[in-house]
This record gives sequence, structure tokens and C-alpha cells, in this order.
Amino acid sequence: MPTVRERSVPRAAGRRRPPPTGRSGGRGGAGRGTLWPYLLIAPAVLGMLYLLLYPLARAVLISFQDFRLRQLILGDARFVGLRNYRTLLGDPGFWEVVRRTFVFMAVNVVAIMVLSTLVALMTERLGRAARTVVLSSLVLVWAVPVVAATTVFQWLFHSEFGIVNETLTGLGFESYEGYPWFAHGGAAFGIVVALIVWQSVPFAAITLYSALVTVPTELYESARMDGAGAARVFRSVTFPLIRPVFMLVLSLEVIWTFKAFVQIWVMTRGGPGEATTILPVYAVQTALAGQRYDLGSAASMLTVLLMSGVLVLYFRQLFRQEGEQP
Amino acid sequence: MKYRSLALLSALVLGAGLTACSSSGDAASDGADGSTALDVWLMRDSVSARFQKEFETGFEKAHPDIDLRIQIQEWEGIGEKVTAALASNDAPDVIEVGNTQVAQYAQSGGLTDFTDRVAELGGGDWLEGLAEPGSYDGKQYGIPYYAANRVVIHRTDLFEKAGVDASRIKTRDQWIAATRKLNRGGTQGIYLPGQNWYVLSGFVWDEGGDLAVKSGGAWKGGLDSPGALRAMDFYRRLQALGKGPKDSDEAQPPQAEVMAKGQVAQIIAVPGGAKVIEEKNPELKGKLGFFPVPGKTADRPGAVFTGGSDLVVPAVAAHQEQAFTFIRELTGDAWQKKLAVAMSYVPNKTTLADAVADDPGTAAMAAGAANGHATPNTPQWAAVEAKNPIKEYMTAVLTGEDAASEAARASRTITETLGADS
Amino acid sequence: MSTPRPPLRRTLRRLPLNAAAALTVVICLFPVYWMVTTAFKPSTDIQSYDPRPVPRSWTLDHFRTAVGADGFALFWRNSILVTLSAVLLALLVALGAAYAVARMRWRGRRQFMLAVFVAQMAPWESLIIPVYIISRDTGMLDRLPTLTLIYFMITLPFTVVVLRGFIAGIPPELEEAAQVDGCTRAGAFRRVAFPLLAPGLMATSLFGFITAWNEFTYANFLIIKQQDSRTLPVWLSSFQSTFGTDWGATMAAATLFALPALIIFLALQRHVTAGLASGGVKG
Repeated sequence: MPTVRERSVPRAAGRRRPPPTGRSGGRGGAGRGTLWPYLLIAPAVLGMLYLLLYPLARAVLISFQDFRLRQLILGDARFVGLRNYRTLLGDPGFWEVVRRTFVFMAVNVVAIMVLSTLVALMTERLGRAARTVVLSSLVLVWAVPVVAATTVFQWLFHSEFGIVNETLTGLGFESYEGYPWFAHGGAAFGIVVALIVWQSVPFAAITLYSALVTVPTELYESARMDGAGAARVFRSVTFPLIRPVFMLVLSLEVIWTFKAFVQIWVMTRGGPGEATTILPVYAVQTALAGQRYDLGSAASMLTVLLMSGVLVLYFRQLFRQEGEQP
Repeated sequence: MKYRSLALLSALVLGAGLTACSSSGDAASDGADGSTALDVWLMRDSVSARFQKEFETGFEKAHPDIDLRIQIQEWEGIGEKVTAALASNDAPDVIEVGNTQVAQYAQSGGLTDFTDRVAELGGGDWLEGLAEPGSYDGKQYGIPYYAANRVVIHRTDLFEKAGVDASRIKTRDQWIAATRKLNRGGTQGIYLPGQNWYVLSGFVWDEGGDLAVKSGGAWKGGLDSPGALRAMDFYRRLQALGKGPKDSDEAQPPQAEVMAKGQVAQIIAVPGGAKVIEEKNPELKGKLGFFPVPGKTADRPGAVFTGGSDLVVPAVAAHQEQAFTFIRELTGDAWQKKLAVAMSYVPNKTTLADAVADDPGTAAMAAGAANGHATPNTPQWAAVEAKNPIKEYMTAVLTGEDAASEAARASRTITETLGADS
Repeated sequence: MSTPRPPLRRTLRRLPLNAAAALTVVICLFPVYWMVTTAFKPSTDIQSYDPRPVPRSWTLDHFRTAVGADGFALFWRNSILVTLSAVLLALLVALGAAYAVARMRWRGRRQFMLAVFVAQMAPWESLIIPVYIISRDTGMLDRLPTLTLIYFMITLPFTVVVLRGFIAGIPPELEEAAQVDGCTRAGAFRRVAFPLLAPGLMATSLFGFITAWNEFTYANFLIIKQQDSRTLPVWLSSFQSTFGTDWGATMAAATLFALPALIIFLALQRHVTAGLASGGVKG
């Protein structure tokens, strides 16, 4: 493969990049009635129709039925209209859970995005060896099975056996001798957040980093020559270029923290009290423990609706952008 | 050239994946020699590998027309797995399920009804704690398999050193006094984690209370009854005689491992736990003894939760008659005796209790089993355990909150959960 | 990277950066370290009243237990087959779709992209019942290809979106130039654009791999009777018994379980840095 051509690539990219809207002139040769684009997306579309839309339609159907273990086995589900939704929305505790879910999501997402952006920027500036070390440790964290990570966090904060209490006591904070972290709502909430942030930063940081490495260095140099400080360079050069990936990661983290379940379930079961009960935990407690698949389905439809509420602005903007780009 | 090797690799993997799967997907349900393949699911550690082998050999010799295929299932996600099996077109023929789980599967119509064959299985002598939860709506779906309940596992050497005679601990007061004596120096009198709600349940039953009571067709949480409050107070006093963590249960960390460290004089566990302790710390071999959880008075051991398993047959199972044959063998007297001895279980019939008289752990357990109880018999109880307000209540009381108001709150939660439309 | 500089000044200038990197690595790895050392501790030291960062004594017992568990080799084979097929399938399908979206104009393109974005919100936890029913009625229960398809679908939207972003970032002029040089359109894409996609491919294949590798719920629900078709997460949870969990063995298993992702990353990462170095502008 001719190296010369490869070499020229990022430079060319650097020259071409800045005005992204400037080349919406139907370049690329398609659009002349060829079938190619449709053939190319056909597998993806078929996959989404059969493996996603079809099951989703049936899940929606279930949420309007009386559907429990019996109906799963014998298959004679009966329509009950909006009863499942009324049951959920009529629970006075429901809206409190929704509020807590939003707080939980916001705290996590802000922490994840800030930390992972910093880590990605830092990684990009590191030397080759250090970069590999940092990225490898991120990958390791990401790859650790949830059950192992959750258990280790539980151990670290264990009241009698945990190294956190041991260390704090050793440092002279005697009140942490046998301190039951998971018996206090605030502390339990904090530990769950710490765990989820710790587990989520690697994905976000690696994805942002992979976007960062495609930003041509010339852009930084010319910006610096214009006398811009680091913050300014980030704001006016780096961020606009990684913005699509940043927004993608942000939306994914919104979705994932909204659905965080295993960590909370293993650590606190939503307790103490209701301190860590967010929507998915609530759904399992009310619906799935009693094998109420109908209620569970309704709860996740409500979750999707609430999530869309958060993401709708993002989707709208995407839709508009798609129209502008070639 | 990266792309080319990638494409090649993907083609290879995809191809291999498909062929590998289609070849393993068609395992015949019937053996080649005309015998019937019988699929049986048992839980991890419900039988030892040795017993399983012995049973398989014996069974296939007696029934050469059946090719027995036992699969060991994991505890994690077993509820979903059994659900998936019951709803499938190709279910296993026999499944072991927890005794308290039978009702919800029976309610769903997915199990075979064995009511008219109970007599054939000698059902008159079955342990109440297994047979009763195995029935639903007056019909018998679950066939009692084995039972186990908690006893006190203690260190005979530490007891001796402290001058305590374990065989004379018959009442709670004697128990507290003895434990206080043991709780000296580096030794913990008892390791009782703050959230062992099965132990608390036993104390509650001792006091005449219950976790929930049914009155006028509705269930109501019972932790705030005077008896239940006395039970919690006793739990608090006992728990203080050691360094059990106030905010976790017996699984986190596994209490057998804590005892294996060597500084714990007693734990409350099923006798099989002793094997784990000895395995983790061989120095403790021969230094472990057992006695039933003491009751309020000397004439009766303390109440305990009867845990255990039933065997069920999915309604869609292909080999109903052979499945019944299997159940008749495994739950029959001959194999039950062997199983109880091999695994330290309480056999499924009261008449078989003698079989385990030689094993001190199992004997102590069988003595306690006489006062066995079950959790409230409603399919909604699973939802209570999913939330488990009892554990939180215990931690709250142990960390100094007001017992009465916490109990009232926990009971309210139980009432609400049980009252939810099921 | 290759330019010689005054070493001391450079070291000093990079000190805060390297300190931050060290801190990141420590925070990341401490829990991982705890998991790995737990796998080497004798059971009685695992949760101790006197927890120590460095184990008092070491043992390989837990690894022996983990490797000796039933079906170990088979579960690895199944997991590798299912995961790699799902990831590669997702990459192939997504590459086509991403190219169509980033490089061509056609009616329905915006709608398609929006659908892909929305697909990321799919409530997979409640789709399991419908997926189960559909598989049951089409005879696809107990079969690994069913899992492959599910994992493919879970990872597809993310893969399409990320690859589209990377393809859009490559100026089409480059390919056009190659086409002038006599390449076909597909050939031009392969020769010119593909190497530049390396970072994006790394991010997406890691995502796909780790997601599919760890998935338990569907694997547990859809593989019912075929003990031989189970995947590794089942193995991870096989050290629980009525007496509690054997945490040493679980952590040993978890350690072995996490390694393939690291290996895949290291394999892919070489290409990413190669791609960068060939740009000749970093350093």
C-alpha cells in the first residue's frame, strides 16, 4: 500500500475540514436513482425490522394485556386496555421514583462526561507507552464483569471487612470503625454512583479519544498561533469537531444510567428505604418479582417515553443536521 | 491487507458458528438403542457428584429402558430459566425447585398434577414443610425431595476452653449466658450478621408472631406485633455478642468462611456448612459440633425456617410416565436414606428420620425440624423478598433506630406489597 | 514523536500530565487489582478483619477450581463463536449502512439515521419475553445463532452511528483521486478510507465485543435445555451454592473472563497507532 498517499491523508483532512457545510452539493455520485444505497442499508433495515421492531410491537401489545406467567405458558392473554399503565401511574410512590431517577441520571451523566473528556484529552497528549498503559487499564475496567466489580465495591465499603473503613480508622477517624455505609441513604447512593461512573468512564473515554485522534493537529497549531489558550482551543477547535461523537456518547450514557439495574440490585436492592430505588429497580420490585410481565412491559414503555423526553431535543437537532450534510 | 484478512476471518467464524450450532442443536431426545432419554434438572450442590453417579448407575440398572440425563443448574437466574423451560415446547422432564417456589409455577398451569398418585409415593408421611408449599389449591404439584434447616454450628474446643457444655444449652437464656462467656479476647461468641432474616423469623415464630398474617382475606405485615418486637430485641442482644456486620447478610461474606478463620465460636447455618468450614480450614476438622437453635423453654427447640426442594414435572414434558418413575425412585425410602446421609439433609418423610441419627449435624437438624415453619403462603411473598424490608428493618434497629417505629414502617411495606394485585 | 528535544525541560513540562495519567491508572486499576489479588488469596483471607492491599500468602487453588469447572472449554468456544460472529456481522452490516449514509444521497436517509439513533433506546430488558416467544414459535430456542442475532442487533445501532461519523470525516476527494488513479469505487474506499477508520473500528468492535461477551440474561433465558450451548457468563455464576458463593473462584473466573477484551484491544490498538503514526503529524 502506497505510504505516500496515507501520509497525505490527515493533512488534506486538515485543509478541508473547517467549513463542514460547504460541501453539501450532492457529491458522492449517488442520488442518480441508483439502488446502491438501498442495497447497502437493506441488511440493517431488515435486522431492525425483524429483531427490534417486531419484538417491540409485541412488547407494546403485552403492556395492554393481562400477561403473567400463566399467559406465557398457556398463551391466552386478554386485553385490559390501559389498566397496567393506570396501576403504575396511580402508585403515589411512582413519581418520587421518577424524580430520583432523573437526579441519579443527571449526577452520573455529568460526572461521566466531565471525567471521560478529561481522560480522553489527557490520553491524547501522552507519549506512546503511557498512552497504551492508560488505555489498557481503561479497557480492563470496562471488561471486568459487572458482578465482580459490584462485589469488589461492596467489599471495599464493607462495614467490618472493608479496607475503606480500615483506612479511615487508621487515619484517625475513629467514627468509621464498623461504619455501615449501606445503611445510610446518602452514602449508599454515593457508592452506587461511584461504581457506575467508574464502570462507564472507560467506554466514554475510549470513544471520545478515538474521535480526538482524528482531529488534525494543524488546527491546534494554527489556533495556538492565533494566541488562543488551551480552554479556548478546546472550545472553538476541538469540541466542535468531536461534538457528534460527544453527543452520541452523552445520549448513550443518559440511556444507560437510566437503565442501571444490576449494580443497584446486587448492592442495595434499592434500599436503604427507597434511597437508591430508580425506575428499573422499581419495575422489578413491583412487576417481575410477581412475574407480572404486563406491568414490567408497561414500566419500560414509560421509561422509554421519559428517556425520549430527555433526548428529544438531541434527536431533533440530529434530524436537522442530517438534512444539511451531504 | 487488513480488510481482506478481516473479511476472511469473519467468513470463517460465521461459517463455523453456524455449522457448530446446527450440529449440536439436534441432539435427539431419544437414545439410539430405543431407550427413552429422560432430562432431569437438579440444582448445583443439591447432590454430590459421587451420589449422582451412584444414583444414575443404580437407576439405569433398575430401568434399562430409561437413559437418565441429569443436568446441574446454577442458582443465578434459575427463576427465569425454569420459567423459560415451563413455557417452551421442549421442557426437561423433571425439575428441582425450591419448596416456596412451587406455588407460583403451579398457579400458572405449567406443572403436572400428582394428586391421585400421592398415596403411591407414601405421601402420608411427607414433611409438612415440603408437602404443604408443594401444593396449590388443594392439589399436589411438588413432590418433597429433601429439607434442611438451620442449627447452631459451634467450636467444641472453644466451648471446652470456656467451660461451656453445649449439650446443656436448651433455652435462650442459657444460650445467651454461654455465648457471653465465649465472647472473650480474640474470640467472637457468635458471628451473626445483622440481616439474617431467616434467623429472626425463627425467633418471631417462637414468640407466637409471624412475618405476615391473613385476616379477613387480606395479608398484613406482622413485624410490629409485641411478640415480633421481643424477637428483634433478642436478636439484637445475641448479635452484640460478636462482630457480625450489622448491614449485611450471611452470604456477604459467606459466614462459613468467616468461621473458618478460627475466631468464631458459633454460627447459625445448615449443617452442611460445617463441611465448607472444614474444607476452607482443615485444622478445624473434628472440632465442630451442632445443636438445635434453643427455644424459649427447654421442652421445645427453637422454631426454624424449613428450606428444601420439591421435584416438579412440567406439563409439556414429553416423558410423563418415566418422569414419575424417576421421582418415585429418588423420593423413595431407599434412595432418600442414602441421600440424607450423603448430603446431610433431612429426608422427605418423618418416618425416615432414624436414617440420619448417626450424623450429629443432621440429627440436630432433624430435632429442630420438628418445629419447622414456612414463609407466608402467598405467591406475592416473592415480591416481599425481592424488596426485603425485613433486612433493612434489622439493620436500622441494630444501628440504634427506634425498634417500634421501624417495625411499624417495615410492616406497612409488607402489607402494601402483599396487598398489591397479584 | 521522533523529534529530539531538550530532555529535562520536556520531562518537567510533562510532569503534571504524567501525574494525572498515573492517578487515572491507579483509580482505574485499584478495584481490578483487588479482584485479581482476591483470586490469589486463600479463602480465609478474602474477607478479613484486617484487610491488606498485598496478600499475605498466594495460592493458585481458585484458578484450578475455575478452570476445572464443568463445561469450561465448551463455554469458551461458544462465547467466542457467538461474540465474534455478532461483532463481525455488526461491523459488516454497519459499514455498508454507514457508507450509504455518509457518502450517498437518497430519499429516506434522514429517517433511516433517526431510526438508528432511536434504536439505541430499545428496552432490551423487556423485549426478552417477546423475543422468547418469537424464538419458541420459530424453533430457534436453545440455539447459538439466536444469541448471535440478538447481540448483533444490540450492537448494530452504535456501530452504524460511530462508523458513519468516521466515514463522514474522511474527505471524499481522497477516494475520488484514487478512482482517477484507476481504482473502482469500492477499491478506493478500501485502500484509502479503511485505514483511517481504524480508531472507529477499534471503539465499535470493543463495544460490541464487551457487550456480547458479558451478556447473561438472554443467554440464560434462550438457551434452556442444551447444556452444551451455554456461554461463559453462566460459568461465572457457577461458583454459587447454598452455602454462599466461592468468591475466590468467582474472582479467578472474572479475571480470566476480562482478559480476552484486553487482548483484542492490544491487537486492535497497534493498528490505531500505526494509522496515526503514518499521518506523521503527532508528537
